[in-house]
Amino acid sequence: MKTWHRFAACIALGLVGGAAFAVHQVRGDYADKQVHNGQWSANTNQGTASASALTRAKVALNGLLALPAKEAMYFITRTDSEGRPLEGRCTYTVTGGELDARWWSVTLYKGEGWLVKNAANRWSVAGNAPARDAQGNWSFTVSPNPTEGVWLPTGGTPHFDLTLRTYHPRGALLNDPANAKLPTVTRKACA
Amino acid sequence: MIRNWMFPIIAGLLVSAFAWQGVLLATPYALMSKAMDVIGARAPANSFAFGELSTADNQPIVRPSPDLVYSSCVFDVSKGPVLVDVASVPGHYWSLSIFDARTDVAAVRSDRDTGGKPARLALMKAGQTAPQGYEPVTLQYDRGIALIRILFSSPAEYPVVDAIRRKSTCKQV
Repeated sequence: MKTWHRFAACIALGLVGGAAFAVHQVRGDYADKQVHNGQWSANTNQGTASASALTRAKVALNGLLALPAKEAMYFITRTDSEGRPLEGRCTYTVTGGELDARWWSVTLYKGEGWLVKNAANRWSVAGNAPARDAQGNWSFTVSPNPTEGVWLPTGGTPHFDLTLRTYHPRGALLNDPANAKLPTVTRKACA
Repeated sequence: MIRNWMFPIIAGLLVSAFAWQGVLLATPYALMSKAMDVIGARAPANSFAFGELSTADNQPIVRPSPDLVYSSCVFDVSKGPVLVDVASVPGHYWSLSIFDARTDVAAVRSDRDTGGKPARLALMKAGQTAPQGYEPVTLQYDRGIALIRILFSSPAEYPVVDAIRRKSTCKQV
């Protein structure tokens, strides 16, 4: 093999390998300033000039035009409370207490973050929708078919994620999101 | 044998590092450019496009919130400052966020920040001057997106919210 053949082969491999690794990272779970809280994860550095190239690329792909943490914290989960991927054929109960924010909602997305077609034309549950018990706790159902109470349809998509938006977060939600009290997502049954 | 491959491998590793960093750096610009094209097709540059509610059939950008109504302006300050006036929507969360071409947030003003008064920002690059009465926001890039989010809690509120938001303007000086 001639010298230039060796250079050409290594440079081509380097080009493809470097680009492929970057794509893998952007689509993967890791980012700097990534906070994990149970099955939820959030980024506290999005939208800021100090964000790393990787964080900026990930946010551009999965949440373009997202607000910085002081204005809104976005928590995303792709698994239930036992770590199993969220599946559109299954029924889940989302349970939580009062969240320390001006307003919150939970939205269901597929893929990189797209609303899922469903017959009910419903894609999110706002914080004021579920009824509270005496302790201020609430719950709603995520499932492919209608249920009693507040229902968020999966639209039958194979896999989905849930995004918890908290606008004007306060207290632990903003300052200690890894330890803030967040909703739980419990799988009940699968069709 | 090893000697023959040493420099080609070093060259390959260097190229891979550049390719890795290049993809990471280029991704935000590429996706923001695409978003500006999509949003820019709905209204001329330096003017607001008042988007409809987000649904499965209306998703101009990734991860839209169906609880918010969005108004967006693709701005270009290369020929002068762009003035953004946002009408306040009483009793509702609203915010104006300015994103540059790298996706960084250059400014955010919400009803909390303005005390319920309208927001008035002058988007400009270094060397330009903000007109009186406008808060200057100096940008690192000429182009970007100004985005208004307004929360509404029931569909019945939409006509009122829609009428108020259409008083907001984005215009070049």
